[in-house]
Amino acid sequence: MAVDITLLFRASVKTVKTRNKALGVAVGGGVDGSRDELFRRSPRPKGDFSCRAREVISHIGKLRDFLLEHRKDYINAYSHTMSEYGRMTDTERDQIDQDAQIFMRTCSEAIQQLRTEAHKEIHSQQVKEHRTAVLDFIEDYLKRVCKLYSEQRAIRVKRVVDKKRLSKLEPEPNTKTRESTSSEKVSQSPSKDSEENPATEEHPEKILAETQPELGTWGDGKGEDELSPEEIQMFEQENQRLIGEMNSLFDEVRQIEGRVVEISRLQEIFTEKVLQQEAEIDSIHQLVVGATENIKEGNEDIREVPHL
Amino acid sequence: MASAAAATAAAASIRERQTVALKRMLNFNVPHIKNSTGEPVWKVLIYDRFGQDIISPLLSVKELRDMGITLHLLLHSDRDPIPDVPAVYFVMPTEENIDRMCQDLRNQLYESYYLNFISAISRSKLEDIANAALAASAVTQVAKVFDQYLNFITLEDDMFVLCNQNKELVSYRAINRPDITDTEMETVMDTIVDSLFCFFVTLGAVPIIRCSRGTAAEMVAVKLDKKLRENLRDARNSLFTGDTLGAGQFSFQRPLLVLVDRNIDLATPLHHTWTYQALVHDVLDFHLNRVNLEESSGVENSPAGARPKRKNKKSYDLTPVDKFWQKHKGSPFPEVAESVQQELESYRAQEDEVKRLKSIMGLEGEDEGAISMLSDNTAKLTSAVSSLPELLEKKRLIDLHTNVATAVLEHIKARKLDVYFEYEEKIMSKTTLDKSLLDIISDPDAGTPEDKMRLFLIYYISTQQAPSEADLEQYKKALTDAGCNLNPLQYIKQWKAFTKMASAPASYGSTTTKPMGLLSRVMNTGSQFVMEGVKNLVLKQQNLPVTRILDNLMEMKSNPETDDYRYFDPKMLRGNDSFFL
Repeated sequence: MAVDITLLFRASVKTVKTRNKALGVAVGGGVDGSRDELFRRSPRPKGDFSCRAREVISHIGKLRDFLLEHRKDYINAYSHTMSEYGRMTDTERDQIDQDAQIFMRTCSEAIQQLRTEAHKEIHSQQVKEHRTAVLDFIEDYLKRVCKLYSEQRAIRVKRVVDKKRLSKLEPEPNTKTRESTSSEKVSQSPSKDSEENPATEEHPEKILAETQPELGTWGDGKGEDELSPEEIQMFEQENQRLIGEMNSLFDEVRQIEGRVVEISRLQEIFTEKVLQQEAEIDSIHQLVVGATENIKEGNEDIREVPHL
Repeated sequence: MASAAAATAAAASIRERQTVALKRMLNFNVPHIKNSTGEPVWKVLIYDRFGQDIISPLLSVKELRDMGITLHLLLHSDRDPIPDVPAVYFVMPTEENIDRMCQDLRNQLYESYYLNFISAISRSKLEDIANAALAASAVTQVAKVFDQYLNFITLEDDMFVLCNQNKELVSYRAINRPDITDTEMETVMDTIVDSLFCFFVTLGAVPIIRCSRGTAAEMVAVKLDKKLRENLRDARNSLFTGDTLGAGQFSFQRPLLVLVDRNIDLATPLHHTWTYQALVHDVLDFHLNRVNLEESSGVENSPAGARPKRKNKKSYDLTPVDKFWQKHKGSPFPEVAESVQQELESYRAQEDEVKRLKSIMGLEGEDEGAISMLSDNTAKLTSAVSSLPELLEKKRLIDLHTNVATAVLEHIKARKLDVYFEYEEKIMSKTTLDKSLLDIISDPDAGTPEDKMRLFLIYYISTQQAPSEADLEQYKKALTDAGCNLNPLQYIKQWKAFTKMASAPASYGSTTTKPMGLLSRVMNTGSQFVMEGVKNLVLKQQNLPVTRILDNLMEMKSNPETDDYRYFDPKMLRGNDSFFL
């Protein structure tokens, strides 16, 4: 367990001060000393670098606070049932996404800029190392805050996909749901979904829409007595078949979705690895080029040596 | 050399406690909380060699980075001014260090200073720093000053050593040499007591101390008791109260500190060993959990005129995170070799699994059947990719242990250490010896002169009656022929004369080593560890004298050896110690 002796230290400082005064030693302590201290500190180079670094950090902090503040509203799925305050329309969400992205881009640019400038005027190895490490910390901080953003974005996209899936599962599309799905379709166009969904969605609706009026006309028609039971049965069978078809299509689509998600995740991992390898391959390339040069020169030297 | 054995009831190991204390110090002496969206704070760490030895087994460079440390530098190196950066100092309060720190203050190297002293600093030295701070007008820059009480080095969860930099100062030789003066003895004792005191402060518990009479251990015990008592007496400022102590404070069990003088058992440190960790320590360059290997890059026909190949030096850290090390550091060596093989095989199986997936991926577009397999394999591929880092780590550990074990095996084969081990076990357990001692000593390719000396000393220590003069002369001649220096023998003779009762504690209990399979036994065909000519010896449990003493004391058994031990309890109000069994 550590013991805080800072107070003891301050007491020692006082003791030394009084002792020096008593001895009449001019050490620069006392009232003059504090003034001296302030005076001495101002012309000291305040460090342009660290000021800018702290600025970037405060920017990133602002972004983080902004994201955290609106997180609850952003994620809230049932915004249309909530009161005025809790609601956040999709346009607002898109606005947040855009702003956050711009912000992140500017921050990373600022970090890059700092990186190039950091090594310019400085000759000391230690200061260089220190600055590189500081910039690494800032980048790490930015990454963590970006993760916040991408997490909530991922939740939003997932919810949209789920909603679409839910809407497709409606067996008999009443007018209400049809309207709501079409309205949702319109509002969700900015989100990135596969093309198949709208297509498959429209298809069952169209067919069912077609069969219904057909049934309707037939049901109201006159040739009921002869044809209707068989026709109805036939049409019912066709209904069932179509529903079965649609269900299997729907299953397949869901499978494909799952695979696409996995593939995209894998691709993310792969791109990361490939980027890492890029740096290494570059250095290997440099080494190989250097080696070929050396070998060429070596061969020439050997050729020059007169054969004994 | 006095060695300490502490049995503790505290839940957190000493390693965890010391790590927590260090991390708190690095966090400007504020308890460290992990916050995933916290702002980065950067700082510079300055340490001296003592601080370096304490920190390096506990925190890796990456962990230091995670705590926000951009640079870590030695105190007595050339350091450039880095503006706007707080500096955390972790040093011993010696004269030189204080001078250097004052110099730093004068040169205005950093923005603010957090001074942490490994053991308590004296008032006068504190005033020196105050003086320098005043002269440099830097008093407000000194933000905090702390006494850390961390003056010991923890190597494992439950093992610590007192010091590494000045271990010569507190070594056996320093304490037992004939020409030691009183003041030197006092210094040695003070160093030992300081480290032990810091240990108990970090542990957060006041021990009960027991020691044998009339030895250096007693001196240490008396001093330690006094120091603990003085600290406890001042209830307000006591180091042993406070809310950071937790469990240790409230449990009714207090740790028992047994201080034992090395003279009780001189044979064990000389003994040749057969377990993995002990072998690495004995045979290779192993300090502070780091082993340094010199890899000879094989014997190759170097063409005439070419430069000879340089041996590359490699160093490995054997840490508590290394699962293989934790599992096998106490195993006999052949078992270790086998386990490395097993690990290697399981790793290869996993690698093949991943490669197989790769080839299946390559079938894409060629075979209809393969494409339907693809969908399942997407999931498999994801899991394979995410398990890659684990695989790589496993491979690194396997490589590490293969190299270390190979190096150890080379030494064993070169010096025939298995023969020594078996023989010494037989001597120490007083079973009949099948080979004469003289044979082994005169054998030219069994071991270095040091090995032979060790063997002979163990024999000399463990025999009930001293060998006759004629025999002794014969042995001496054989030893000198083998190239040994006879000074250790002189010392052991004197030691044995001093401690007449040394003959009693040299009973190591009955142990037998059963050689499983004799010479030229090959482990298994695919194995790199062809342990031909190396006996596959099996260890049995043995009780060293120290273990027996500890057992007696803990169980409160009555035993002539330990009955006489002194008893100290710093918490008892009465200053006198009592004669407890």
